[in-house]
Amino acid sequence: MRMNETEKELVEMVLSGRTEAFEPLVTPYRQPLLALAYRLTRNREEALEVAQEALLRAFRSLARYDVSRSFRNWLFQIAANEARDRFRKRTREKAALENAAREEPSSSAPEAGRERREIRSDILRCLAVLSPREREVFVLRDLEELDIKETARTLDCSSISVRVNLSSARRKLREEIRDNFPYLEE
Amino acid sequence: MTCRKAKKLIPLCAGDDLRPRLGTAVRAHIDACLSCRKELGEYRQDLTRLKTAAKAESVPDWSEGEWRALAARFKPAAPGEKGPAFLAQPRWAAASVLGAFLGLVVLAVLFKGPMGGPERVATAGRTDQAAAVRKQDVVSMTMVSQETGLQIVWFLDKNFEWKGDEN
Repeated sequence: MRMNETEKELVEMVLSGRTEAFEPLVTPYRQPLLALAYRLTRNREEALEVAQEALLRAFRSLARYDVSRSFRNWLFQIAANEARDRFRKRTREKAALENAAREEPSSSAPEAGRERREIRSDILRCLAVLSPREREVFVLRDLEELDIKETARTLDCSSISVRVNLSSARRKLREEIRDNFPYLEE
Repeated sequence: MTCRKAKKLIPLCAGDDLRPRLGTAVRAHIDACLSCRKELGEYRQDLTRLKTAAKAESVPDWSEGEWRALAARFKPAAPGEKGPAFLAQPRWAAASVLGAFLGLVVLAVLFKGPMGGPERVATAGRTDQAAAVRKQDVVSMTMVSQETGLQIVWFLDKNFEWKGDEN
């Protein structure tokens, strides 16, 4: 999906100093961006922070945006990077807490504790069985329907890596559905 | 292609994510293998159901207040007006420039040549003094006649003994 003419004009307006053009530029993507962040973080408040930071970063670095790319995918890339950075930071900060949560026998999710209280959706609970990279790949390729090449570009990795993680993600999800969400199969 | 290899590739085949040549090989096997065909069908169904469920589920949206608060932060400065242009360069470019500068500093320190140490400074000082003394060994005096313009120059040693003249 390439950038349309209206978006190009809005980008040029923002770059020429008319910053009020940025809001109409990103408004069509505000909900998809938040939905992506929500599926990656599985927490509404954190998703909101990720989406906000992604949009502010996009605003600050619009001069570096390559207009031959899809603007939506560029925003998704920034949001995925932001979510990953936050995940790493949180992992470091709360390593001890997560270790304690993993030891709970009833938990099959790699991240329990805080997130378990947040998760309401079946899809999000399914996604809990995936590693962060598998989740990113699955969400972008299967739920956001980016192609393999664009998914690789968005995640700054190779197409091979995308295929490996995608295969693993689909395998794990199939097992998860059969074991814990059989009603999704009906 | 064997069933074992095909089953490894079926998750990707379910979303048509294999490279064309490999995809053709897998499909050729699946057409001939009932077990693999069944598994591919199940993967495709699961994938479709997941996508359908994802589309049907409610995902959060911005409240108007949250969006207004964020939009207000887009106003202060245009992206192109964020300071010097070099700040907009990628980090690796800034790091390269810094590295090159530090390298030049190190090279300049290493290849600066002999340093003017205390001994050398002292020697230089003595040489200057000797030159100064030598200069004072010879004194010249010039007399200019106002009437004729005649110039007479006397060269005298430090004892004021005459060495010669020129005019």
